[in-house]
Amino acid sequence: MLVGRFQIMASIAAHKFAQCITCHAWSPDQTMVAFCPNNNEVHIYRLVEDKWEKVHVLQKHDQIISGIDWSARSNKIVTVSHDRNSYVWNQEEAEWVPTLVILRLNRAALCVQWSPKENKFAVGSGAKTVCICYYEQENNWWVSKLIRKRHNSSVTSVAWHPNNILLATTSTDGKCRVFSTFIKGVDSRDSGTSLASDMKFGEQIVQLDLCFSWAFGVKWSPSGNTLAYVGHNSMIYFVDDVGPSPSAQDVAFRDLPLRDVLFVSERMVIGVGFDCHPMVFTADERGIWCFSRFLDERKRAPSSSKYGSQFSEAFGKLYGQSKQGVRNDAIDPTKPGGGVHENCITCIVPLRKAGDGTVTRFSTSGLDGKVVIWDLESRADLSL
Amino acid sequence: MAGSEGFVEADNTEAIIIRIEQKSRKIESLLRQFKPVEALKMALEGSPPKTKDERCKSANWIVVHRAIMAIKDVDGLFVSLDPEYYDILMKYLYRGLSTGDRPTCDQCLRIHEKLTEKAGLGCILRSLADTVNTV
Repeated sequence: MLVGRFQIMASIAAHKFAQCITCHAWSPDQTMVAFCPNNNEVHIYRLVEDKWEKVHVLQKHDQIISGIDWSARSNKIVTVSHDRNSYVWNQEEAEWVPTLVILRLNRAALCVQWSPKENKFAVGSGAKTVCICYYEQENNWWVSKLIRKRHNSSVTSVAWHPNNILLATTSTDGKCRVFSTFIKGVDSRDSGTSLASDMKFGEQIVQLDLCFSWAFGVKWSPSGNTLAYVGHNSMIYFVDDVGPSPSAQDVAFRDLPLRDVLFVSERMVIGVGFDCHPMVFTADERGIWCFSRFLDERKRAPSSSKYGSQFSEAFGKLYGQSKQGVRNDAIDPTKPGGGVHENCITCIVPLRKAGDGTVTRFSTSGLDGKVVIWDLESRADLSL
Repeated sequence: MAGSEGFVEADNTEAIIIRIEQKSRKIESLLRQFKPVEALKMALEGSPPKTKDERCKSANWIVVHRAIMAIKDVDGLFVSLDPEYYDILMKYLYRGLSTGDRPTCDQCLRIHEKLTEKAGLGCILRSLADTVNTV
């Protein structure tokens, strides 16, 4: 088995908050969790003496809330909804006060993320556009600038590069794109890398055309050197050297497709999705990515199925060399297999970042209404 | 410009068809030597999913179908069929199932069951979700 080298984790806590959770986010000190219980409200719970207590309900949206992000330093919550609006919530004494952000969309907003510096946030939408929103001090107003006519379909996920300028998006047209979001007066020219700072707002840096199905869940590695995203065809894509000549790998796996990913280090990615069991992908010393194992001890990867990575020439060795049989229960979708999650996992959020950008804890939520916290037991194993 | 590109495509199509014909003769010879798995491998190799030309796709399907129908021992097939063929085989199995022809469907379902055990649901997703590279 592959266990041993990656002696990591089990879930340390799981709590069922609702019938279904569309998305969740943590307060800066991680004592409170905000989530949408599949309706137009955000519920905020605090852990008090081992019991979760509901402390706030944010009511302003008219339809399902599809994205929440809670900024770590400025303690602001941003929410987006199918009602095409976004609110930035400020805590004033005991109350959360919403400020409307007019996104100028004619379709649902689908995802949102604060930029690393928290002076901008990005919204992906069903209107084939991405909104970059920033605060205008003189008008006391959040302004939304649109990146139009770049996506051929809904934008399912957005991810900020650590330089606060580059933004990666995935779309149901199957493509992953990287844009410059440089805004005069908000970003300074020296803030980004040389690549990013020459670019005008909305300029496309690269379009990755690797997936022939819907693309979901994009993230940058902590350094911003590697990009990972997933396709609805049970593939995960890793892209290095994002720029004029990117190098890409795709990894096929034997289970149901993923919905979201998270880099826990430069060489380890957690993928979550329809399989209900988070998957671990690791890169070896040559930078070749492969499926490593399931996070959930109870679902073992069949020992025979070491999935190799495939460089873009297609038709390479997709599955490694295994020729042995596999236990039937590993592919039976009707059995959750005793995992922590019992339905599709839609969201993975990092918790408590260590100094070097390595994530040691993270949480997942999904259609089963649970929020599950996972912990990396051994930091030494992570550094690989 | 568009015209010349069309010509290149047509030229390409002819080349593909000729290659498939050559492949077909080799497969017949392998089948006569009772090497159905080798025949199937050869049929799957160089499949034209990237071309849009239906004639190429049909020609290759006829060859793959011939090889699929010659498989008697399904368990034996997966002892010697390398995993790199799984995804493309799954696509052809779905093409077979879409014909509605009874013996073809029977055979495709038998192989489909074993292939799913081997390659997992991800393999099915890859063949169904990809609407661009069809066989």
